[in-house]
Amino acid sequence: MAGPDLALLLSALAMLLLRAVGLLVAGALRPEHPLVAWAAAVSQATLAAFVALAVAAPGGAAASVPLTARLAGLGAGLLAWWAGRGRLLPALLAGLAALVAVRGFG
Amino acid sequence: MPTDPDPHRRGRSLRAGAAAALGAPAIAMGVSFLAFGAAVAAARLGVGWALGASLFVYGMAGQLVLLQAGDAGVMGAALGATAANARFLPMALAIAPWLGPSTGRRWLALPFIAITPWAAAMRALPGLLPAERLGWFLGFALVSWTVAGAATLAGFLAAPLLDAPLLAALLFANPLYFALLLAAELRNGASRQAILAGVAAAPLALVLPAAWGLLAAGLVGGTLAFVWGRHGRA
Repeated sequence: MAGPDLALLLSALAMLLLRAVGLLVAGALRPEHPLVAWAAAVSQATLAAFVALAVAAPGGAAASVPLTARLAGLGAGLLAWWAGRGRLLPALLAGLAALVAVRGFG
Repeated sequence: MPTDPDPHRRGRSLRAGAAAALGAPAIAMGVSFLAFGAAVAAARLGVGWALGASLFVYGMAGQLVLLQAGDAGVMGAALGATAANARFLPMALAIAPWLGPSTGRRWLALPFIAITPWAAAMRALPGLLPAERLGWFLGFALVSWTVAGAATLAGFLAAPLLDAPLLAALLFANPLYFALLLAAELRNGASRQAILAGVAAAPLALVLPAAWGLLAAGLVGGTLAFVWGRHGRA
């Protein structure tokens, strides 16, 4: 088996293990249990950090989008979300359109 | 465990979850997996590898670490991808109590626990009857998973037609979608603390190795928010 294939297989097994350990540890805990509340806080904080990094300091190909375009996309998306009373699809499209437009002017 | 008096409930909740996954979640997920499929083609890996990464790793941060592993070696690539997607463990732990009354049937959800279904389910499941929750999650998750696979395949096949600037813009769809989900969660006190602490801890990721940085930021930010919340209530 080639290196990338083996790395993929090992990673896929590790992903199943991570999820399985989470389900096992949760067992019959109720949603209010402190361990569940801690896990939810860590998950949300991870997601927030992921978004902050994707906007402020992305890696890979996304880094080729200028910071002004990324900020414009985020700002326009949030503004459209607020104006649309929380509707996600128009907000997502508005954010992407703003990103593409600002990058085009850059 | 009493038998559900409504035998059609499971089918209805499955369809409701599937319907909720169409629209913004499917588009955000679709475009980022499309970009991933094209990036795999550009790296000269096979279509089977692209689909395997999208469907069985099923977490973009880990997928990108695997793809960009370069000369990190097999163990380096696998460990890096695992660290980048280590959030699956607390996510599974947090969602498990919401996946209905049967701890045995929850295992059906195992392969699908990833950010998009998780975030949507954490918003929707508390408002549903316990007997409807697993069906809703599976409906949402199966649509998301299918979209991820189909978009990866489309991106792989269409790679020669997609230019780099377009792909870079598409990669922004996923974080933007997550930002919108988080904006909706800011109304909830506990979530607000976790989100703010996560943003504040994000710079940790800039000083640590790429694969571990996100995990560290989430652990530090989330634990601080948890302690902050409990201390504040005491």
